[in-house]
Formats: sequence, structure tokens, C-alpha cells
Amino acid sequence: MTAAGVVLIVAVVLIVAALAWYLIWTIVALSRITTGLDRTIAAVGEIIAKSAPVGEVVTTINADLDAGVTALEGLLVKKAGMPDAIGLVDGLYPGAGEAGFRDFPGSGDTKAPRIAEVYTRGVLTLARLGREAPIAAASPEGPVLRDVSRGAGAALDLYPDVRQTRPEKLPRSPVIGTGAPVQYEPSEEPGVRRHMPGRAAVLDPDGRHDADAGTV
Amino acid sequence: MTLYWIGDAVLLLVVLPVVVYLLHGVLGAARSIVPSVEAISAAAQAGSKDLDATALLLTTQDQATRTVAGVANYGGSLDVILDDAEEAQS
Repeated sequence: MTAAGVVLIVAVVLIVAALAWYLIWTIVALSRITTGLDRTIAAVGEIIAKSAPVGEVVTTINADLDAGVTALEGLLVKKAGMPDAIGLVDGLYPGAGEAGFRDFPGSGDTKAPRIAEVYTRGVLTLARLGREAPIAAASPEGPVLRDVSRGAGAALDLYPDVRQTRPEKLPRSPVIGTGAPVQYEPSEEPGVRRHMPGRAAVLDPDGRHDADAGTV
Repeated sequence: MTLYWIGDAVLLLVVLPVVVYLLHGVLGAARSIVPSVEAISAAAQAGSKDLDATALLLTTQDQATRTVAGVANYGGSLDVILDDAEEAQS
């Protein structure tokens, strides 16, 4: 065999070895891909199966809720009248009155009365407390009391110089009773102290008042 | 004989590098797909697990139906108890 033939054989062997090396590792990678895709397809199948009834159930829930909204809006408008109903909604959710009621087209154009002029203050307070209810937390704009722009606390800003804005400038309430830091002994005569703070007795034996005695 | 040597040179200097280059590219592409497929598989399994709660929608549906029925009952009673706006004004 000539030298050229040997070199030819070596070259062919090298090419075949390279082919085998790379193709084996490619097969390994493709098998991993196949395994992963099998798991993916199984999971996607589960997703499809689990989400299949969601549309129908949600549609039913929405239909029930729509019926409830329709009934409540109708009852509110029937009993309170359109202006007061809009005023009540606007009082509970500022700005919501402009949207009006869903089943009453054009109700958003109703001029909402100032709610405080329509209802007593107690009713308005109760209505505002109702905003803390869980059903109010489901408002599309979130819980009102957690919103500084719409919360009842915004009304306190009308009087910025009172306690809620500058608590550090107001004296604390006095402590009274047995836990008070300054204790006063009961007097024997009305308006006369037995002792001045840090002084001796103020009454002499014959009952005359000491010069330092003070009236309370 | 000279043609044999030329053929050997072509095999070693041209064919072998080209084969190695092409196979290396194929192997690299196949290996790059594996992490993506595994990530997709993990995401799909997590999504499937998240959807386990969809069965509770049936409970939600039942609760919503009963709540609306209760609201309707209360509304009917209020409709009887309270005067209508026009009647109250008159």
C-alpha cells in the first residue's frame, strides 16, 4: 500500500469519527428536547382541560351579578328618585355619579344634589362607614378609605390648623386620679390648702392662716 | 500518484474542516434548544398547577347565585316596605 493510500484511509477515518461524535451528541440533545416537549404537551393538555369550563362559569356569574345590579339600581331609583340616587352614589364614591346607572341611559347627566342637603348627617356618616364593608373594597378604583384623594380623611384638610396636622404643638391631656404626677391632699377648710407644694404646714395651732397660705 | 496526494490534501484540508464546522453548528443549535424547552415545560406545569383553583369557580358560581337570590328577596321586601319616590313626594 502506498503512502498516499494510507493517508486517504486516515482522512476518511477522521471524517467518519467527526461525523459520529457530533451526530451522537446531536441525538442526545434531540432526545432531551423530545422529553421536554412531552412534558410540556402534557402540562398544556392539563391547562386546556382545566380552563375549559371557566368561560361558561364566569359568564353565568356575570349574568347573576348583572341581574343583581339591575335589581338594586332599579330599586334605588324607584325608591329614592333619580336625583337622590345619583347623589347617594356620588356621595359614597365621589365622581361615580357622572357615570350614572348602567340600566338608565342618560342618568349620568342628572345633576347630583349635595348629599348633605338631602340626607341627615347621621345617614351620611353611616353611608360613609359602609365604604369599609368588604363589598365596597371591590370598587373598581379600590377601597375608598385607603385612597387619600377620596377618603373621608381628606375633609380634615379643610381645617389645617387643628390637632391632626400639628399634634406636637398641642399640650397633652392632663393626667388625673391616683396616677397623676401631682397629688393634692384633701383640705380641712374649703378653699384652703393644708400644705403649699414644697412648704410646711400653712395653718398654725390657733387656726390662723399662714402668710404663705393661698386659696385654691 | 499525484492525484492521490491531491485528493488526500482536499479531504484533510477542505472536507474535514467543513464537516466539523457544519456538525458543530448543528450540535450547538440542538443544545441551545434544550434549556428553552425545559423552561417552557416548567412554566406549563406551573400554569397547570395554578389552574387547580378553577374548580372553586363552581363554588363561587353557587355563592353568587344564592347571594343574588337573597338580594332579590330583600329588594322585594324593601319594595313593599318603602314608599316610592313619587309617592313620598306627594
